[in-house]
Amino acid sequence: MKPPQATQRIAKRVVITGMGLVTPLGDDPEELFAALCDGRSGVATIENFDTELLPYRQGGEIRDFKPADYLGSKNLRPLDRTGRLAAAAAHNALLHAGWSEEARADHTIGLVLGTLFGSVHTISQFDCRALTAGPMYAKPLDFANSVINAAAGQTAIWHRLPGVNTTIAGGPAAGLQALGYAADLISSGRAKILLAGGADELCYESYVGYHRAGMVCGGTGNASSTSRQPPRPIPFDGRRNGFAPAEGAAFLVLEEAESARQRGAHILATMRGHATTFDPSLATDETAASASLSRAVGQALAQANCTVDEITAVSASANGTVRDDAVEATGLANALVSRTDAVPITAIKSMLGEPMGAGGALQVATLVTSLAHRTLPGIAGFSQPEKAVTLAGLSAETRKLPQSRTSIGLATALGLQGPSAALLIEGGVDDGSSHHV
Amino acid sequence: MIAQPRIVVTGLGLVTPVATGRRQTWERLLAGANGISPVQSFSTEKYNVHLGAEVHDFAAADHLQNLDPTTLGRASQLAAAAARLALDDARIDPASLDPNRAGVALGTTSGEPLEVERFNDRLVADQLDRVGDEFIRLYPCHMIAAHVAAEVGFAGVNTMIPTACAAGNYAIAHASDALRWDRAEVMLAGGADSFSRITYTGFARLGAIAPELCQPFDRDRKGMIPGEGAAILVLETLERALARNATIYAEVAGYGLTCDAHHMTAAHPEGEGALRAMTAALNESGLHPDAVSYISAHGTGTPTNDRLESKAFRRLFGTRSKRTPTSSIKSMIGHTMGAASAIEAAVCALAVAENRVPPTMNFRQPDPDCDLDCIANEAREMPVEVAMNNAYAFGGNNASVIFRKCHP
Repeated sequence: MKPPQATQRIAKRVVITGMGLVTPLGDDPEELFAALCDGRSGVATIENFDTELLPYRQGGEIRDFKPADYLGSKNLRPLDRTGRLAAAAAHNALLHAGWSEEARADHTIGLVLGTLFGSVHTISQFDCRALTAGPMYAKPLDFANSVINAAAGQTAIWHRLPGVNTTIAGGPAAGLQALGYAADLISSGRAKILLAGGADELCYESYVGYHRAGMVCGGTGNASSTSRQPPRPIPFDGRRNGFAPAEGAAFLVLEEAESARQRGAHILATMRGHATTFDPSLATDETAASASLSRAVGQALAQANCTVDEITAVSASANGTVRDDAVEATGLANALVSRTDAVPITAIKSMLGEPMGAGGALQVATLVTSLAHRTLPGIAGFSQPEKAVTLAGLSAETRKLPQSRTSIGLATALGLQGPSAALLIEGGVDDGSSHHV
Repeated sequence: MIAQPRIVVTGLGLVTPVATGRRQTWERLLAGANGISPVQSFSTEKYNVHLGAEVHDFAAADHLQNLDPTTLGRASQLAAAAARLALDDARIDPASLDPNRAGVALGTTSGEPLEVERFNDRLVADQLDRVGDEFIRLYPCHMIAAHVAAEVGFAGVNTMIPTACAAGNYAIAHASDALRWDRAEVMLAGGADSFSRITYTGFARLGAIAPELCQPFDRDRKGMIPGEGAAILVLETLERALARNATIYAEVAGYGLTCDAHHMTAAHPEGEGALRAMTAALNESGLHPDAVSYISAHGTGTPTNDRLESKAFRRLFGTRSKRTPTSSIKSMIGHTMGAASAIEAAVCALAVAENRVPPTMNFRQPDPDCDLDCIANEAREMPVEVAMNNAYAFGGNNASVIFRKCHP
C-alpha cells in the first residue's frame, strides 16, 4: 500500500487510555469519583496564601501538595506551582496509560494544555520585584515561567515529551478545547499519542481578581458592595451566588485506537465528537450565549453521528456563577429539547470549585468513570431549581445510569466572555475487555 | 478517503513598528526601514538598555467599526485592527459570511500584559480596592481572539494559543487544519502582542537585548530588540477563493510543530527540535529541502539563537544552506513576540506572491557559525516558489510553516 498523501483525509479513531489528575479531592480518578459520589467538598478556608484583606476565604486548594511524591527528588526549583501541578498530573496520566519512561523512549508523545492564566502569581511576583527593587533585580527564573506556555514547556522537559506542545488559553472552556484540539491531531494522523487537559493554580492574584470582579461566591456581583451572603457555589441552584476559585491539573492520554490496541492498552473510552463555538456578543446577550452552547452540542453530535436520545449523562461546567449557569442551563435545555426523558446531569464544580484550565479534563474524567460504574455523582447542595430555566436531570443525589453495554457522555463548558465547547465520549462498563470500543 | 482541501492565504492585515497595512509595511520592509527607537511607553532609566520596537501613532479607532477601543487591552486593539485590515485586503465583507462558519485562531506571548502591570502597580501601592472587574475582563489572553471575533462578528471556532514566540505559526497551523477538516469556511489566523515592561525587564535580565542594533547572523550581533505588533492572515479553501475570484498570495502547504523538551529559555544545542519541525513541515508539503526558495528565519539576533538556527539549517540542507536565501526582518521591526511569526508568515506569503524578499539589515561581518546567504542589507528580486517560516519559543516550542506559490 502506498503511504498516505498529504491531500487525503484520514479520520482515525481516538481513544482514552489513561487519566491523571491532582485535585482538592484526591489524585486518583477512582478516589475522586468516590468523593464526588459521596458529595464531599474540596472547598474550604484557604490556607496557602494570606486572605486577611479579603472578604471571602473559600477556595478549592490542594492541601499538602507534595510534588516530590510524583516527580521524585530531582530539582523542582525551576517549576512554579502551576508547572508542578501539571507535571504531577502528567506523571499520573502517563503511568495510568502504561507509558513508563522506558516504554515511551521510542514514541513522540506530545502535550496540549488548557489554562486561564498559566501562572499570574509568577508573572506578578516577577513584575512586583522589578517595581520595588528595580528592574535589574527581577528574577530570570521567574521570567522563564512568566510565559503562559510555561507549564506545558516544563512538563515536556520533565517527562521528555518531544511531540507537539500546545497551550490553549481560555476560561473554563480551555480544557475541552485542548481535548478537542488533541483529538483532531490524532484523528488526522498528525500525532499518535497526546496528553490533553489543563492546569491552573489558586493564587492570591487571581483570587483578588475574581473577588474584585464580584465573581467569588458569597458576593453580590459587586465588589464595592458591603452586603455579604453565606457562600453558595451551587451550580444551577436558584440560590447560587458565585463560584469557589479552585486549582488542579488533569490530563487524559489520547491515542490512535489501532496502535493503542496493538500495544495492549486498556481502553477507557472513545472520543466521538467535539466542537467549539463563540458568541460575538462576548456573552452580554444571554440568548446569543446559550444559543452558542446549543450549537456546540449540535456540532459535536453531528461529528459523532449521534442523536440526543443516545446521551446517557452530562457533565456541565456550571460553577455557581449567577449568569453563566443560567446560560449553560438554557443552552443545554435547548440542545436536549427533543428528549422526552430527563438526561442525568452533574456539575462537579459544586465540590471541586472552579479549577479553570483543569476543569474540562476533570469533567471528562468524571464522565469516563461514571459511565464505567453506571453511576453519576449528584450536584452537592442542589435543592432549589431556578424558576426561569427548566433543565430536567439536575439532582443532589448520586444516581444509577441505565444498564447498557455502551453509553455516551456529553461534557459542556462555557468560557469567560464568549467561548463554548462540547465534547462527546463513548464509554462502557469496565469488565476488563476493550472490544466495545 | 476524501480529498483534502487546499488552504490559501487571501488577505493580510499588518500593524507593525514600521507601518500599518499590507502594502505600506511590505514596501517599508523591502526598503530596509527601521522600526527601532528609544522606548517611549515607560522609563528605561533603571535599565542598561533603552531601545524598543514600538508601534507609534496607532489609533485603533481608525480601524474598529464595532467595538469601542477604550474597552479593549492594547494587544486586542492591535489584533482587531489587523483583522479589519486583513478582511478589507481580502475583499471580504464579514457581514456577508455565515458567522457560524467563520473563526479566529490567534497566538500571543504575553496576552494583555499592560493589564497585569496596572494590577501590579496597585498591588505594590496597596491600592487593591481600586481594582475593578477590568482585570478579569481584559487580562486573560483569550480575550484577544474573543475581541477580534466580537469586532467582526465571527461565531465559529475561536482558539487562543499562547505558545510564546512561536504562537503565530501555531495559530496558522491550527486555522489551516480547521479549514481542512471543514470546521470552518473562513479563518482569521495570526498573532498579537503589546509592548510590555514585563517582557522588556525579562529580556534585559537575561542579557538578551541589543544595546544599539539588531544584527541577526552578524559576527558582532549583541541581541534582540523587544517589539510589538499584530498580523492576521485570511485563510480559506482554494475552492472558495477561486469561486469568489480572490487574490491568492500563497498556499499553506504544510507545517511542523515540535518541542525540544530540553530547556525553558535555551534552544537545544544541536537544533534538534528546530530540525524536526522543518523536516515535518517539508514532509507534509511533499517537498525536498532543495525546493525551498526562501527562509524567513526566527533570527532574533541573539548570539545563541542565530548560531543554533544556522546549525539546524546545515543539518537540513547540507552545504546548500549557504545558498538558500534567508532573512530576518527582526533586524528592522525587532522581535514582536507572539506577533512575530504571524508578521513573518505574511512576509512569506508576499515573497511567494511577488518574487521579492526582504533583507536582513545591519549586517556587516559574516559569522562562520552562521554561514548563510542572509540577504544582507538589500531586498532581492528572485523567483520564490516555496517559502519556509520558522519560529522558536520559550518552553522549547518550535514551529515551521511552508508557503508555496498557488498553482490552481
